[in-house]
Amino acid sequence: MGLNRLAWRMLAARPLRTLLTMVGIGLGVGVLAASLTLGAALDRSVDRTVSDIVGRADLRVSAFLESGLSDAALETVRSTEGVATTAATLEHRTFLSTATGDPQAAVTVLGVDPATYPALHDLTVVSGTGFAASDVQVALISQELARHDGYAVGSQLSILGAGGEQQLRVVGILAGSGGVSGSDRVALVPISVARQAFALAGASRIDIQVAAGVDPATVSARLAQRMAEPYVLSSPADIAAGLRASSASFQGTAALIAAIVLFVGAFLIVNTLSMTVGERAREVGLLRMAGSTRGQVMRFVFAGALVLGVVGSAFGVILGTAFAYALAHTVSAATGVTAIVTGIDPQSALMAGAVGLGITILGAIEPALRAARITPFEALRARFDLPSVRRSRLGWIAAVFVLVGAMALVAWPPAIAGSGAERALAVYAVLLVATLLTPFFLRPLARLLGLPVALLLRLEERLARGSLARDRSRTTLTLGSLVVGLAMVVALGWSAQAARASANAWLQDVIPGDEVVSSIRPIGPDEGVRDALRQLPGVARVTPIGTFDLAYRGYRVDAAAVVGADFLADGRLHAVTGDRDAALRGLDAGGTVIVPAAVAARLGLHVGDTMRVALAAANHVDLRVSAIVERSIPATSGEAVLVSWADATQSLGVAGADAFAVRFTPDATAADRANLDATATQYALEANPVERIQGAVADALARVFGLFDVLAIIAVIVAALGIVNTLTMGVLERIRELGVLRAIGMSRGQAFRMVVVEAAVLGIVGAVLGSVVGLVVGAVMLVLGGGFAPVVGVPWLPIEIAVVLGLGLPILASIYPSRMAARVSIVEALQFE
Amino acid sequence: MRPFHVDLGIARAATLEAPSHDGPASWTEFRPTPMTATGETMPAILEANGLTKRYVLGRRMTEALRGVTMSVAAGEFVALMGPSGSGKSTLLQLLGGLDQPTSGSVVFEGRDISHMSDAQATKLRRERTGFVFQAFNLIPLLSVRENIALPFTIAGQNPSRGELKDRVRQVIELVELTGKEDHRPDQLSTGEQQRVAVARALVTRPSVLLADEPTGNLDYTTGGELLQALWRSCDEAGQTVVLVTHDARAAAYADRVLVIGDGRITDEIVLGRRVDHSAAPLISRLAQIGL
Repeated sequence: MGLNRLAWRMLAARPLRTLLTMVGIGLGVGVLAASLTLGAALDRSVDRTVSDIVGRADLRVSAFLESGLSDAALETVRSTEGVATTAATLEHRTFLSTATGDPQAAVTVLGVDPATYPALHDLTVVSGTGFAASDVQVALISQELARHDGYAVGSQLSILGAGGEQQLRVVGILAGSGGVSGSDRVALVPISVARQAFALAGASRIDIQVAAGVDPATVSARLAQRMAEPYVLSSPADIAAGLRASSASFQGTAALIAAIVLFVGAFLIVNTLSMTVGERAREVGLLRMAGSTRGQVMRFVFAGALVLGVVGSAFGVILGTAFAYALAHTVSAATGVTAIVTGIDPQSALMAGAVGLGITILGAIEPALRAARITPFEALRARFDLPSVRRSRLGWIAAVFVLVGAMALVAWPPAIAGSGAERALAVYAVLLVATLLTPFFLRPLARLLGLPVALLLRLEERLARGSLARDRSRTTLTLGSLVVGLAMVVALGWSAQAARASANAWLQDVIPGDEVVSSIRPIGPDEGVRDALRQLPGVARVTPIGTFDLAYRGYRVDAAAVVGADFLADGRLHAVTGDRDAALRGLDAGGTVIVPAAVAARLGLHVGDTMRVALAAANHVDLRVSAIVERSIPATSGEAVLVSWADATQSLGVAGADAFAVRFTPDATAADRANLDATATQYALEANPVERIQGAVADALARVFGLFDVLAIIAVIVAALGIVNTLTMGVLERIRELGVLRAIGMSRGQAFRMVVVEAAVLGIVGAVLGSVVGLVVGAVMLVLGGGFAPVVGVPWLPIEIAVVLGLGLPILASIYPSRMAARVSIVEALQFE
Repeated sequence: MRPFHVDLGIARAATLEAPSHDGPASWTEFRPTPMTATGETMPAILEANGLTKRYVLGRRMTEALRGVTMSVAAGEFVALMGPSGSGKSTLLQLLGGLDQPTSGSVVFEGRDISHMSDAQATKLRRERTGFVFQAFNLIPLLSVRENIALPFTIAGQNPSRGELKDRVRQVIELVELTGKEDHRPDQLSTGEQQRVAVARALVTRPSVLLADEPTGNLDYTTGGELLQALWRSCDEAGQTVVLVTHDARAAAYADRVLVIGDGRITDEIVLGRRVDHSAAPLISRLAQIGL
């Protein structure tokens, strides 16, 4: 169709602008596609892990002690009301001892009940058969084990058992890793065979399927009542939630950044199409004069947008998959969930592509309406000056922003629905307000910040500033996208800094020492290590810390044995409820426990409650909660509850300290510190200054935030593409002015500098506004993110980065339009149209 | 001494007297060219020798100038007249160093400017020539005063103090725009805008003022005011002016009219310096040569 061809030609007439716009859309869609693809990969990974771990079970009771669950405990589980099916499993790691097997690599032997196990877990046999009877010396092995060690159906498998080698016959090969998480060298044997081979009783765990219509929570509560020995209860939902928790905040932030990049991309689209309509106004007028309807004119703007959207989105999907592929490893490391990206994820690609196309069309609405308002008389004008260009497009910015936000909500990763959505929305709203306010700040800020430039390049600065004021909507859109991008850089930088500061403050708050001397084995009180360290010069206090875990109502709880008096004297810990001093003073006598707030919330504990800790042989010890503290000593999976050394050694089976916190005297010298390190080494201990522990925390945080920084910088790059567009448009519009200026003696260098200064003024204003907005966004993120005090100091480094990017990228972006300005031919520029 | 005359120019100039209906009074003002006190003609300030200019437009070659030789004396007001496409604007651009000829040379104040570097040409434009174009002479975002002072600003001078400030004030007075110094171009009438352009062209006291259809966008009255301003600068301050126009009424302000057709100078009509700018003699003269 003729008009569509005209649309195509309009785009082809300005290949650079068209290309930049497509790249801009592509980057926006790319970040979204990458975010969605990675999210999908993480979700797949979580689902696979959960199904590998628990299969169709509703609950899993695992042994807390190494000795496993006793037969009595298994019987208690089976007889609990509401339990329909159970499958006990005995897991034991051992080695193979055959000529064919790899004697170095361990295998996981899983003793299962051939009768009940398949009811809860899928056993996909790729060759051979399943179990026939329950007491025969047979094994099903994983495909990995078979492949690696060269076993086939019928092979003999010799495992190292308690009484020497045990001969098993391989009757079947299981698909993949055999459906067991954590190892792919797996051999399934009947549980009776495993018990006999390793001389064990009971089981490692028992999976439960509850009866129809029974709430697993009810069964959990009954188990908590009935189980005498320590156990750990988990459900597929718990496991999935645990796995997702680590990836949810990542997904949320990535989705937010994607929305912002897309929004910045939307600026680019609105700008590009508006410029095209402005440039082609006379042609549009001619079309109208020749009888085109408003609808046809609008259609042809939309046709142009469609071309930009389709090509840009397609490019974005490919780019996004490449991003996702490149980032998969980092994301896996940062979230602890393995994300595997193999290719284009159709659902993510479709979603990202549709969003990209949708935003392009949305961005086209305003230019299309404007094109439709062009009257046939415009064609008759000697020179076209769009009067409506001067009208603000702020309303449309808001509309596009809100629509992008709405689309983002729809596309919000379902796995993390609710988590962080309100934070993302708040950030988004702050950015919208900031963008809408930008034009009001532009003029005074440009004037103020242009002053230093004006001192050096008076003329260039004056002309550049005027040029920025020429089309305020366009400048607003351009500056707005720069501000938004830079604000994200600052906000994320601040968040990272706050997270680091918060982690540091936590460690400072809870560790009663300047160094932590740790041991890989428990050191008993009678070994004299504590005294040896304490007698060193410059050492004020040495306090032993023993970490372990305890079982409470089916939870595995991290715990630490500490000397309350030392914490009291050192001034560590802050009580949320309860009397800190009394609790710490009373701790050493035994019978009480100090619980960190996060753990108290999870376990539902309050000051005065009794924590009944299950012990082996159906024993238990009762500990009274004496205080709830803000934060406590970091442990393997969170924070530790604090108990006395008396309880730890007498009831809870703790053999000794695995760390000593060492506090130096205020006048301790570097030599004293070195001396401590040397002494620690003599006792086979490792001395770590608290700063080093903080450094390790910071490194972990840096990995996560580094990823976000990359995404935020993409937003700034998209903004820079917009700047190329805007400056180029500015030069084209002023070509006659440039001709006059050159005719009255402006040099090429001055023409070049004029555009560079324009970019620089834009950049300086963008950097200042971006930093301010970034601080606001950062504060919103920190306050809504919770846990962080917003007062963590000014993030100078991120602001410096924003300033460097804000100045550097626009100036880089100005090179092409500047050269264009410098090369304007006076004669051509002055030709009367 | 005049280095070049189109052959029939002098002879035809003589016939100017015949169809006069302005009365003899105007002829008392007739001066063929500006003269020094001793009665000699002023030396040429601007000369073109065998200028040709070819453009490649798409696949077609256009020959805008096909060998033009002419000269302008210091203090002279010369009009280049011709129909559109005759090459008169191209000639003006070459004379002002805006463009370079395909062959031939332009000698300005004794210096060949036809093959200067861009930097040299920029310096020349900045210091020695002033331009006025048909339209869009002004930078919209600058005030009248800023627009007029622009050549100084471009040269890195501060036009808001000292002698430069006086010069800006003087040209504003010359073009009768006192009181409108702080207006923006879009607050002025088209005629006023063009007068600002003239003021800007004059403020650097250039050797030559080159004007390309400066009245093309103006109505009868405002056009007349502008031409009056140009003429005053020439007559009162001795400003050399080269004016391109297709309008006989505008050309009638000149001392001498060069008629250009098809890339060549086809006629020269000497009007002399006249207080009254009646176009009638010129029009009848043009009619005689078939224009």
